[in-house]
Parts: sequence; structure tokens; C-alpha cells
Amino acid sequence: MTSSYEPSALPLGRTRSRLAAQLGRLFLEAFVAIRDLYRVFVLTLYYSLRGEPNRRAFFREMYEIGNRSLGFLCIVMGFIGMILVYQGGLQTQRVVPDLSLLGATFLQLLVRDLAASICALMLATRVGAGIAAEIGSMVVTEQVDALRMCATDPVDYLIRPRFLASLSVFGALVVIAAGVAFLSGMWTAFAFFGINPRTFANVSMVSVGDLTIGLTKCVAYGAAIPVISGYCGLTAFGGSEGVGAATTRAVVSSSLAVIMLNFVISGTGYLVFG
Amino acid sequence: MLPDERSLALLGPALARHALAKHARWHFPSVSQHSGRTLLEPMQTETSSRASPVVEALGVRASGVLSLVGGLGVLLVDILRRVVRRDFDRNELFRNLHRMGIKSLPIVTVTALFTGGIMVIQAAPIVQRYGAYGLLGWGAGFGTLREIAPLLTALMINGRVGANNTAELGTMAVTEQIDALRALAIDPVGFLVAPRFLSIVVTLFLSTIFSDALALLGAAYAGAGFLGVEPGVFYRGLTTGLLGFGDVAHGLAKSVVFGAVIGLSSCHFGLSTSGGAPGVGRSVNATVVVSAAGIFVLDYLLSFALA
Repeated sequence: MTSSYEPSALPLGRTRSRLAAQLGRLFLEAFVAIRDLYRVFVLTLYYSLRGEPNRRAFFREMYEIGNRSLGFLCIVMGFIGMILVYQGGLQTQRVVPDLSLLGATFLQLLVRDLAASICALMLATRVGAGIAAEIGSMVVTEQVDALRMCATDPVDYLIRPRFLASLSVFGALVVIAAGVAFLSGMWTAFAFFGINPRTFANVSMVSVGDLTIGLTKCVAYGAAIPVISGYCGLTAFGGSEGVGAATTRAVVSSSLAVIMLNFVISGTGYLVFG
Repeated sequence: MLPDERSLALLGPALARHALAKHARWHFPSVSQHSGRTLLEPMQTETSSRASPVVEALGVRASGVLSLVGGLGVLLVDILRRVVRRDFDRNELFRNLHRMGIKSLPIVTVTALFTGGIMVIQAAPIVQRYGAYGLLGWGAGFGTLREIAPLLTALMINGRVGANNTAELGTMAVTEQIDALRALAIDPVGFLVAPRFLSIVVTLFLSTIFSDALALLGAAYAGAGFLGVEPGVFYRGLTTGLLGFGDVAHGLAKSVVFGAVIGLSSCHFGLSTSGGAPGVGRSVNATVVVSAAGIFVLDYLLSFALA
């Protein structure tokens, strides 16, 4: 994908047409990237359904993605819970003196959006960077070419276990993280605003719609992160610099994907469930 | 610098055991002769350390964290000394500002617009329940300006700029380019690290201002699309006096600290990279994780300090 739409290859003199060429190049590159990403995604799905199960790799990746992220996730979500309740409580006090619904509102927000989305952003950082760095260094050291020589598709061997592991472990991580955030929020509400934990732990505002939206987000993020970062790892080239670039791309693209998916799912959920 | 320290920390217990055993053999030869074994034979110490692997693991973990914090502190002092003395490379600073700041604009823009939209969608059920459409601007604006815009901008800049910076410095460290700089009597901190640190801080500060504005724009139009609240009503909700400059300043003050965290940890992990291409991948991974955790912890502390 080098020479066909290289701007310098076109006979261009004027600035305007150079700009057009650059824009066109940008679109073509984006198109190629999206098409390749789609191909990797479909292949991953195909191998997940048809391929032979690789239990060892699956459990290893579950440990790598799930257990090893747990401490990081708990720290982040604990602090998030404290910050949100503190800030939200302060701000609500300015308008309404009654804080008894703070806990219910916080829990609804957590289930609908924050638990899954912030977990996903953190995992896009941790797991995404990890996957891209691992696969990228395998590509750069020609281990992936060796795999191809053995008639094994790298998508099957490298991305599929990560995809399945992330998909199955993501929900559990989000539930644990939401629990941690809620407990730390409860402590903050008690310590700073004197809200009784029993008043705070109020599930009356969480509806089936909220739960559905939250779980849909879990599945979408859990599927998107390994595929995108695996794709970024597989397209690495050029030594240690290439591995670094691939890791950067993985973190940025999977975070952007999380934010966009969040917008789409939240918007659809709002229109469907109200 | 760090790999040596870390390996020392790992080797520490073993070295101490070895030294103790040697010491015992030197000073109490009779004991060791009588019992037929030395006082602190490796066998014995093995079992004693196996009795408390948790303690040992905790100790190794704790000394790792401490050496990381110490390394970051030393680097920060080094950088600040150069910055105060203006002993750093200006051209490098401007080059990095362009590379990190201008080139991140597309990502910051997209993130901010979507984030504003998400904030409104999340506030929508509450606003509808109370019928408080005039307060939508306040609700979304408060969360955006104080927390979400600085936080998400910092996370995106961490992913793009921080990771990139580590990858670059790490590649330089692995290919011994930093040693080459030292051999040419060029100070790597003044030439490479201080300009990058400064430009990350400036980039994040300016990007946060930018994304504050864009997130509110996105929120206004998402409010029009999902809730039918006119953008004018939204802007009035922002400016009726419930929100002040204090809220904006709160977010901006945070962004400076986040920038310092990202700059410091990305430079530190970059410089302490070893072990070829996989090593670069590992340190990029470590940077983004440490910066993200540091951002959230400091966000919490700053929320109290600035309240």
C-alpha cells in the first residue's frame, strides 16, 4: 500500500490540489485500515466458532487480562467512586439540600455507564498496550512469519485466545470494579456528608434498561479492545521503534473506540429505554 | 539507573543471606566445624524464606514501588533544575510542542465532542424526571469542566503522547543513542528530557482548554438532539451563576498536575528501558499503566486540596 496513492507520485504543482491529494490519501489510508480491521474481526469470529479450542492459551490470557488487571482496576475505581460522590455531593448541595437520593443516582450512573466505560478505558490502556507490545515484538522478531510458515494463521493463534478471554473476563471485572467504586462512594458519603450507608445503598433507580445498557457495553468493549490492539500489533513494522508505535496506536485507537461505542450504545439505549 | 536498582532490590535478600553466611563462617568456624554444617547454610535459609514467601513478595513489591517513586523524584529535581536555569534546548522544545500538541488535536477534538454528548445522555434521565431543562447546562457543564474533560483529555494524551514519548526514548536507550549523547558531552536531561517534560505539560494544559470548549459544544448539540433543549437554553444554564471561573480553574489546575505525571513517568520509563524491541513494548505498557493510576490518585487528592 505504498506507491498507488502517494501524493508525490502524482503530477501536482498547486497547493490546493496537494491538499486534495493529502485528504484523499488520508481517506484511503483510513479506508484500508478499517477494511483490514474488519477482516481481522470477522476472522476472529470465524475462528472462535470453527477453530479448535486452545484451552491453555485461553486460561493464560484470562489470567493475564483478568487477574493481573484487578489490582490496577480496583485502585482506579476506588478513587473514581470517592471523587464522584464527593464532587457530586458538593454540587448537589448547592441546588437541593436533600442528599438522600445521591446513592441511588450514583448507582444508576455506575450501572448505566461509568463502571463499564471507565473499566474499558483502563483496560484499553493496560491490556491494549500489553497485547500490542507482545504481538508487535513477535512480528518484529519474525515469530509471526514463523507461525505462518507452520500454516497457522496468527489471528487464530494469537488474537482468538485473547478475544475469547477478554470477552469472558470483562463482565466479571466490571462487576467487581463497580462494587469497589460503590463501596468507596458509600464510605465517602458517610464520612463527608453523613449519609447513612443503608440510605446510600438504594437500588430503586436501577431499571432493567440500565442493566441491559451496562451489559451491552461490557460485551462491546470486551470484544473491541483485543481485536483493535491485536490488529495494531500485527501491523507493526521496523524494530523497537515499530513496537513502540504499534503500542501507542493500540492505546489510542482502542480508547477512541471505547468512547465512540459508548456514545452509540448510550444514545441507542436512551432512545430505546428512555 | 533503574534496572540496576531494581535488580539490586531483587537480589537484595539473596546477597544479604550470602554475606551473612560468609560472615558466620568467618567468625564462627568452630560452630560450623562442630555441626558439620555452616551456621547459615543455603539449605536452611531456603526453608526459612520459603516459610514466608508472601512477606518476601511484599518486600520485593514495596521496594520496587519505592525505587520507582525515588527514580521519579530524582528525575523531577533534575528537570526542574534545568528549567529554572533555562539550561535546556529551545528548538527541541518547539519541535516537541508541534509534534505533541498540534498533532494530538484531532484525537482531542473527537474525544471532547463525544464526551460532551455522553455527559448529556447520562444526565438526561435525571433532567427529565425533574423537568429541569434549564439546569442541563449546569449539570453537564459542572461535570465536564471539573472532572471529565481534564480526566479524559489526560487519558488520551497519556495514550498518544506519553506512550509515544516512552517508545522514542526507549528506542534511543536500547540503541545506545543516549550513551552517545553523553559521550559527546551533551546533557541528555537538558537536551531530551526537560523539553519533552515541559511540552507535555503545556500540551495538556492547552488541550484541556480546547476540550472544555468543544465538550460543551458537543453537549449543547447532543442536548438539542436527544432532549430538544435549545443550545441557547443550554448556554444560559452554563452562565446563570451556578458555575464560575473557579470550576474552570479547578480543571485546569488538575491538568497541569496530570501533565507533570505523564511527562515524568514517560521520560523515566523511556530512559530506563532495556532489552531490545520487547523491552520497548514492556516499558510503554508500564508507562501508560503507571500514569493512568497516578492520574486517578492525584485527581482524588487534588479534588480535596482545591475544594
